[in-house]
Amino acid sequence: MSNQKCAIIGVGQTNFKKRRDDVSMAGLLREAIDRALADAELTLKDIDAVVIGKAPDAFEGVVTPEIYLADAVGATNKPLLRVHTAGSVGGSTCIVGAHHVIAGIHDTVLAVSWEKQSEGNAQWGLAGGRSGGIGAGGAFAPWMRAYIHQSGAPEYIGWMVAVKDRRNAAKNPYAHLKMPDITLEQVKESPMLWDPIRFQESCPSSDGACAVILTNEDGARRSSKPAAWFHGLSVKSELSNFPGRNPVKPQAGVECAHDVYRQAGINDPRSEIDMAELYVPFSWYEPMWLEGHDIAGPGEGWKMVDTGETDLGGTFPVNPSGGVLSTNAIGASGMVRFAEAALQVRGLAGEHQVPDVRTALAQAYGGAANYFAMGVLRTTPPE
Amino acid sequence: MTETKLEFPYSRTLGPVVGAFLAGLREGKLYGIRGADGRVLTPPLEYDPETGESLGTDMVPVGPGGTVVAWTWVEHPAPKHPLSRPFSFALVKPDGADTPMVAPVDAGSIEKMSTGMKVRPRFKPEPHGLITDLEAWEPV
Repeated sequence: MSNQKCAIIGVGQTNFKKRRDDVSMAGLLREAIDRALADAELTLKDIDAVVIGKAPDAFEGVVTPEIYLADAVGATNKPLLRVHTAGSVGGSTCIVGAHHVIAGIHDTVLAVSWEKQSEGNAQWGLAGGRSGGIGAGGAFAPWMRAYIHQSGAPEYIGWMVAVKDRRNAAKNPYAHLKMPDITLEQVKESPMLWDPIRFQESCPSSDGACAVILTNEDGARRSSKPAAWFHGLSVKSELSNFPGRNPVKPQAGVECAHDVYRQAGINDPRSEIDMAELYVPFSWYEPMWLEGHDIAGPGEGWKMVDTGETDLGGTFPVNPSGGVLSTNAIGASGMVRFAEAALQVRGLAGEHQVPDVRTALAQAYGGAANYFAMGVLRTTPPE
Repeated sequence: MTETKLEFPYSRTLGPVVGAFLAGLREGKLYGIRGADGRVLTPPLEYDPETGESLGTDMVPVGPGGTVVAWTWVEHPAPKHPLSRPFSFALVKPDGADTPMVAPVDAGSIEKMSTGMKVRPRFKPEPHGLITDLEAWEPV
């Protein structure tokens, strides 16, 4: 079994909206797939295998959708595999696709993930089909409050993250919520949903899909555009709840980060990584993941927000795309982190491009913050 | 005993092809679509089953008549069956189509069923834009 190098050579995203009632579920996927193929200068004929991922089927009520999507995703007479790791699934789907290339089993793999949330009710789906569930915000709120308590972070840090991400999203043609003029005051005065999370500090519910084309060195050579090379990729998980668990800084998230840093030869992530796309569905998760993945020391993550370090023009930009806070088609969101990190490395991010990105970090988390998928992408292939 | 009420708050957007097919049923019309190999596929598909290519949105009118290409007989219909009296589940190829679609045939008795028989569609008087708007096919 050969050990191939793997790159993202094509990225495709749908336009994310509250309701994409102009397309079927298949059509939604295909919009992202066609854009990724065009970016990679390939057609469906060039794809050897297809990996798809989405969050729980209860979200749309289409059970095992992979059964009826083979034609739409171009998988007729090819391997079609489905991945599921809750909200991190877009990230793990990308990594499963990359593993096929790295293992030398397939040359070129299409990975696609999506959610069409307008067709159902995610909060209802998360509650196992019963009304009155607390939803993701309700589940995460106590941990965010615990972070604030432990770190001594001022309340306005959450508002700053919300303002930054919504303003960044205004520069991203695919983002759902674009609020170029949003102010701290507007966030502060928005209704409290789950203390400490206010309405403007929470992600929207979006329809959309994301696709990436993964290939080896031969495949990358055939493309006229720059590739984004994997230097590290890792999926880690832990039990969602157990005595002694630290849900504010889950150990699986620490292990996942250190695994990709080790693979990529990164000793000091804060100085050696040029930008990051982190899964931040609620504002406080930005400083929480900066600390949760040891980019910042304990109690230091919120200071990176406070000093503007994570701004688009800062020294460690986080979520220049506007992030999950501005666009959340749950199944797609993890893959969007990898896709956006790839666009940054390839220099193709457009108006939200960070200058001179050589090393980018992509991260997705899911479940009760017990699933993690992370990747390090660079402009050049690994040695 | 505990009673729990389950809700199913789902809706579907069908897209331009399946949506057009079901909208046609509402008007008592049947549509197919031309596949990559030139065959008329009924019910229509958004993407070609072989090549995966988009088949566009040009619907091909088929029917109204059809031909039974295969069938089975349901002598004792269950409450969930589409008809309450004995009927046939059949593959019916609408005129002008190259693929058959599964549907009930209301022939009254098994003796009236045969492969190759001609049938015509019977639509529900109050359509809902569902596949069941095509209530059954009847012998011509």
